[in-house]
Amino acid sequence: MRRTLLTFGIALTLSAQYQNSFKATWLEPGRGDVLPEFDAFDSSSGTLGVLNASGSVKTDGHPFFTALGTNGRACVTCHQPTWGMSVSASGLADRWRATDGKDPVFAAFDGSNCPSLPQEKESSHSLLLKRGLFRIPIAWPPRNADGSPRPVEFTIEVVRDPTGCNTSREYGLKSAQPTLSVYRRPRMAANLKYVVSGGTPIVLKTGMLADVDPETGRPVSMNLMTDAREPSLRTQAVSAIMGHEQAKTTPSRQQIEKIIEFESQVYVAQAAHIFGGPLAVPGGPPGLGPAALRDRRAGVLGDNDYDPVFGDFKAWKGSDYYKSSVARGADIFMYRQFWLRDAAHINSIGLGNPIKRTCATCHNSQMTGQDLSAGWVDVGTTNFPSWTEPATWAETSELPVFKITCSKDADPHPYLGRVVYSTDPGRALISGRCADVGSIVMQQLRGLAARAPYFANGSARSLREVVDFYDRRFDMKLSDEEKEDLVNFLGAL
Amino acid sequence: MLPRPPRFCVALYACAGLLMPGAAVLGQQRSFISCPIVRDTSTVPCFLAEDGGEVYYLGIQQDITSDFHPPQLKHEVLVEGTVVPGPRVCGGIPLQPVSISVVKEINLACNTLLPAEPGIDAPPALRGPGPSSHPLELVRAPRQPLTGRQEFTVLYSFNDDYLEFGGNRVVNEAASYAKQAGATSVKVAGYRATSLLSNGQRLTEKAGLAEKRAQNVATLLRGLGVAAVTVDWKSEAEPGDGRTDPSRRRVSIVVTP
Repeated sequence: MRRTLLTFGIALTLSAQYQNSFKATWLEPGRGDVLPEFDAFDSSSGTLGVLNASGSVKTDGHPFFTALGTNGRACVTCHQPTWGMSVSASGLADRWRATDGKDPVFAAFDGSNCPSLPQEKESSHSLLLKRGLFRIPIAWPPRNADGSPRPVEFTIEVVRDPTGCNTSREYGLKSAQPTLSVYRRPRMAANLKYVVSGGTPIVLKTGMLADVDPETGRPVSMNLMTDAREPSLRTQAVSAIMGHEQAKTTPSRQQIEKIIEFESQVYVAQAAHIFGGPLAVPGGPPGLGPAALRDRRAGVLGDNDYDPVFGDFKAWKGSDYYKSSVARGADIFMYRQFWLRDAAHINSIGLGNPIKRTCATCHNSQMTGQDLSAGWVDVGTTNFPSWTEPATWAETSELPVFKITCSKDADPHPYLGRVVYSTDPGRALISGRCADVGSIVMQQLRGLAARAPYFANGSARSLREVVDFYDRRFDMKLSDEEKEDLVNFLGAL
Repeated sequence: MLPRPPRFCVALYACAGLLMPGAAVLGQQRSFISCPIVRDTSTVPCFLAEDGGEVYYLGIQQDITSDFHPPQLKHEVLVEGTVVPGPRVCGGIPLQPVSISVVKEINLACNTLLPAEPGIDAPPALRGPGPSSHPLELVRAPRQPLTGRQEFTVLYSFNDDYLEFGGNRVVNEAASYAKQAGATSVKVAGYRATSLLSNGQRLTEKAGLAEKRAQNVATLLRGLGVAAVTVDWKSEAEPGDGRTDPSRRRVSIVVTP
């Protein structure tokens, strides 16, 4: 009953906020704001809801909101409530204008295309400003947790280097500390109980042992980060502070625990639509709004017709135009069959190629639409020829291109063979496995309307472009109405 | 259609073990390498393969917990099965049991996807092409409580050390029993094998695979908390007889309380 009343109360609050308040607030580290239990922010199609399940949060002195390194950034710099605990390209562009490019988010280390570029120039930050991409420097070759070198099944060459970083004598592959620079979107620091649940001792997709939490020794979900390189929220936080914040000293245990405590209680979802009004209302679809994320159990497989990934949308069937469209979109997501083909770590793990399935086959984890198994899949966004970059040579392409050549003794990439061209080899840069080239860990499908652009490489400027990519990639033959329904559905999450 | 020339062997297995020329008559056993064919139906797709001018039915699309793991377009497949008397299924002669080994190298010629046709139906499927209507059987309880020395067998596809879902389940069962029984000894032994094809060719799994399979399983068992694990492997390939070859591509786990 209390939850029902709270939900209703939030709906009323939202309704009022929706009518009276649009805001997009950049939280600066150390400003001392107090975050309310529930807050709402403008998104592309309505209002994003951010719920602090533990109540209001005092940010003064809080390590998530305090710069712990040397470049003035805090966790919040790249995980802003306004943009779904991530950050949007439009928000970054606004920030550039507001600060003349001086905000710490544009730090040379990874907030520019390469630290060697003239930092005062906007063009040196083009990937961040246009696509929301931060530079992720990855030491090459990869190493195991104990520091020993990890076997690598392929060689890697830099074929195109528009940022100059991969061929840089200081930062590149042939530098004193060989490094590959890939460019990726920051993930949501919210709804994390769903992201870290579901670990099994043996990873279904590899038949090998899962990584373990170094603190507990327990297997982890391997769904954190674009490439699952960090096993736990703790290691991720330390790594981010030492890297993105350029800290000189390791954060204290107490600081890390406070960060984890905060980010583990934040729930983010779309809360209202510009025409549809509040989304989480009594009698409506039960999976919408941030409170539903707080209340549901994590680690539940939703690829079924009795307890679907995002709940039941029957209540909206035959309703007004928008709600009916969302309900149809939910049906397409769950039930519209197509030939799911040539997707490494889906078709290649024993399911067969092709299989006649639906979106929910891969996006199967309840409430977030990630993969309940370790979630890396090569859906084709980064590997030629299906990649999201121009299909033919074009000067507009801004991402590096790597040529991966697999050794004759290794298992090749299951659908691209032994030579693969990729803008981001993804999981393969961590595992060293040829079969992993281009595999990217699936992201949450929540709060999408607030945090464009999409895909790990920021290539889709809108949800329509996301849907168009899948339509092309899997020859889904979606009608314009079906695409609109899917966009409305995704935007409601 | 005549049996395929040994192109596959040259391309993929460096001719390891290609010794016996000519065809061998193997009764109702069929072992061959071919491109798979996918046929859509009104429900789930069927997976077929053609050999010697005949089409064989291999199985249907199911979920990951199924014993049958379908082949893949873009890859040839090694089919090893027994012809089942009776009507055709999905237009093909059914093979049961049937072992499917996806050849790792890409073959772009393997690209046949047929549309559904009236009158060609897939057998009833536990799961349709959409979301599941029942929980997946991720863990399988033993039919009766285990006691004493037990042997668990993990089977593999040809030339592969990937632990598919069924093997994953066997390793978990072995680990569970070893811990519950307080095993004093857990012996892991790896093997590689030869497949005798219906056309008389012999294909031998690559050297080193027996060790790799054994070491992988031992690593998994230790990671699952099993102590007293010892590892051994047989470097020489098991011989092929064209009937029971898939059963020799294996790792044996012997648990002694």
